[in-house]
Amino acid sequence: MFGLEFPSIDNLVKWPSYFGEGTFYGLNKIGIISLIALIVPVLMFHFARKDLVPRGMQNVVELTVEFVEQQIIMPSIGPAGMRYMPLLLSIFLFVFIGNFFEVIPTFQMPANARMANPLILAIVSLVTYVGVGFKHHGFSFLKETIWPSFVPVGLRPLVGLIEFLTVFIIRPFALAVRLFANMLAGHILLVTFGVLCITLFTLSPLVIVLPFSFIMLVLLTAFEMFVSFLQAFVFALLTAVFIDSSLNPAH
Amino acid sequence: MSNLAFIATQSLELAQEALEAGDQQNIAAAAGAGMAYGLAAIGPGIGIGYLVGQAVQAMARQPEAAGAVRTNMFLGIAFTEALALIGFVVFILLKFA
Amino acid sequence: MYYALLAAEEIAEEPSNPIIPVWNELFWGAISFFLLWALIRYVLLPPVQRAMNDRAATIQADRDAADAAKAQAVSASTELEDQLAGVRAEAASIIEQARSEADAERERLVARAEREVAAMREIAETEIQTEREQAMQALRPQVADLAVGAASKVMNGTVDLGRARPVVNQILNSPN
Repeated sequence: MFGLEFPSIDNLVKWPSYFGEGTFYGLNKIGIISLIALIVPVLMFHFARKDLVPRGMQNVVELTVEFVEQQIIMPSIGPAGMRYMPLLLSIFLFVFIGNFFEVIPTFQMPANARMANPLILAIVSLVTYVGVGFKHHGFSFLKETIWPSFVPVGLRPLVGLIEFLTVFIIRPFALAVRLFANMLAGHILLVTFGVLCITLFTLSPLVIVLPFSFIMLVLLTAFEMFVSFLQAFVFALLTAVFIDSSLNPAH
Repeated sequence: MSNLAFIATQSLELAQEALEAGDQQNIAAAAGAGMAYGLAAIGPGIGIGYLVGQAVQAMARQPEAAGAVRTNMFLGIAFTEALALIGFVVFILLKFA
Repeated sequence: MYYALLAAEEIAEEPSNPIIPVWNELFWGAISFFLLWALIRYVLLPPVQRAMNDRAATIQADRDAADAAKAQAVSASTELEDQLAGVRAEAASIIEQARSEADAERERLVARAEREVAAMREIAETEIQTEREQAMQALRPQVADLAVGAASKVMNGTVDLGRARPVVNQILNSPN
């Protein structure tokens, strides 16, 4: 259409491995971004001096830690949630750095636009909040979920079924799909406007609309930076909220 | 020679039929995908608009509670948006799977 | 037919579904995330949190120390104010005392001066009195003589001096 060639979906699905093609340890671009999302926080924390007066990288690290504390843990769990600081901090950093490669040149691909990382994180979140529920309430956590005592007896099977589905299936699925679909949609959006900009180099009458698509590309890049931050924030915040609902159920 | 021509025309017709069947399926899938995403976007669109409007009103009425309101607003947006995103996933599934 | 076969072969080779995760990405993602989690949990986060807590404690301690120093300064300043007020009152009382003493001294001096003046005046008056007495005593015989002479001249005869003298003296002695 209009001489534009949108890349096929295979460009998004099939990533060639740099080694071990076809095996379970084949390292492709997504794997490399995952490794970078591991290395960057480690370097950040390693080079952050632990001085009384913060300087340089220490500011960044402490800002992140404080952000997780003040904006994620305190509004959802409260002071009791400081135990889950390492989990929430690593989820936030891993998701954010993985997302941010959406706008970094030469990568231009969010690691979370593939289902693997969101799935792992959602399963970690599921295991954590179910584990927290069992640890703090024992078997009654499961009993309250599938046979809730705060609703009339007649409604208990229905509410229990819905609760069970919500806790064990819908929550982790929605958690993973939210991150995955947001990043995939953002990536496709950027690709679309990028492809529209390619026609800057053609001589078709379409040239008239191109400046607009270029402006949109720039604006959308900024918007996607915001989205990549927001999705990391939301993922960590929802994990914290689920942990809180396991700590204090039935309200 | 005529045999070869016959085989050639037959195979061409078969290929055409196969392609047409595939095309029809693809067209139906594409239409369904577009419908799926379009319909899935209506509800969350209204929902997020209402949600953010109410949140802004709350922040304007009580600026000191803006932090808590903002956190809860993002939470609500995340929940509401999930529906639209599931629609997007269905779109991807219909289109490419 | 050929194309259909090709397409079927491609589909059979690997379904290109964007939603199904693939194993190698799961593998590297899981390694990265769990390693990151473990490192942050046991190695990376504790020193940073310790530094932040230390800083919070230091700031709290400094703030407490500053509060204490402020309270101390306030109490010292009130103490100083009290001392100053005491000193001022003392100075005022000293000035008052000195003034009253000076007043008393002046009163005393004035009284003494007046007394002395009065005494001197007394002395002077007595002296004048005695002078006048003496002068009168000195003048008396001559006045008597003159009076007797005058009287004898007036009466054209002699006046017995022995008899006249007591009369004259009596006149002289009578006031004015």
